[in-house]
Amino acid sequence: MNQDEFGFRVRQALNDGAERLDYRTVLRLEQARGKALALQRRAGPATVRLPALQLATAGAAPVDGGGPWSWLRGAGWAAPLVALAIGFVAISQWQEELEIKRLAALDFAVLLDDGPLDAYADQLFGVLLQAEQKADD
Amino acid sequence: MATREELSEFLAGVERRAFKQAVFAVRDESHALDIVQDAMMKIAEKYGDRPAAELPPLFTRILQNAIHDFFRRSKVRSAWVTLFSSLIPEDEPDADPLETLEATGDTRSESTETTFERGQIVAIIEEEVAKLPARQREAFLLRYWEDFDTAEAAAAMGCSEGSVKTHCSRATHALAKALRERGITL
Repeated sequence: MNQDEFGFRVRQALNDGAERLDYRTVLRLEQARGKALALQRRAGPATVRLPALQLATAGAAPVDGGGPWSWLRGAGWAAPLVALAIGFVAISQWQEELEIKRLAALDFAVLLDDGPLDAYADQLFGVLLQAEQKADD
Repeated sequence: MATREELSEFLAGVERRAFKQAVFAVRDESHALDIVQDAMMKIAEKYGDRPAAELPPLFTRILQNAIHDFFRRSKVRSAWVTLFSSLIPEDEPDADPLETLEATGDTRSESTETTFERGQIVAIIEEEVAKLPARQREAFLLRYWEDFDTAEAAAAMGCSEGSVKTHCSRATHALAKALRERGITL
C-alpha cells in the first residue's frame, strides 16, 4: 500500500470518528458557530476619509479632483495654520497698541505734573527725568 | 465576500475536523472546544469579509496558531505553578502526579470497549494519530484529512514543501507501524 492510499484510509477512519461526536460536543460546536457568525465582519460601503478641518466648500468639488475649487481641498490643511498666524499678528498689534497708549498716558501725566507720587519715588523714573533734562539742555 | 450563509456552511463543514485536530493536539476535549470556538470567532471577526474560497487556508492557519498559543499559555502557567508549588510544603509526599493522566487513559479505553468494532478501530487510529509528533501529525492531517496539497500545507505550517513531505512520510510510516503492532491493517 502506498502512502496516498494509506492516507486515504486513515482519512476515512478519521471522518468516521468525527461523525461519532457526542451530542454535547456537537451542541457546543453549534453554539460556537453561532457566536462566530454574530461577529462576522461585514464589508460596509466604502468610507471616504476627509481632513477634520477641511473647508466646507471642498465638498462641492468633483471626486476626480477637477474643477475650479479643487485647490481648496489641497489648501484645507493649511487653513488652521493661516488662522493661527493671523491670530498671532492681531494679538501682537493689540499688545503694541496698549503699550503705546500706556506710555502716552504716562507722558501726558508727567507733562501736567499729574504723575502719581509712586512714580517720583521710583529711582529709575528719576534717572529717566534727569536724562531727559540733560538732553533738553 | 463570504455571505453569512457561506461562512456558516464553511464553519459547519470544518468544525468537527477542527475539534478532532485540537483534541489530538491538546488531548483535552474542553480545551479543544475553546480553541475551536476562538478560531471560529477570529475568522468571522477578522476575515468574515473575505471571499469564501480564501477561508479554508485562513481557518487552518488560525486554528494552528490557536493550538500553539494554548501550549505557550500552558507553558507559562506551568512555570508559575512549579514556582509556587516549590514554595508550598508538600502535604502528601506519596501522591502520584501521574494519577490524572492514567485516569484520562482509562476513560478513553472504557469508551472504546463499549462501542462497536468499527468504533474501536477508529478510536485506536485516533489514539495513534494523537501520539504522533506535533509537526508530523499537523502535516499528515493537512495533507490527507484537510486535502491540502503540499504547497498549501507548507504555507499553513510556515515551512518548506520538502519539510511537509518529510513529515508526512515519517508520520505515515510511524502510524502504519503502530497500527500493525495493535493488530490493525488498513
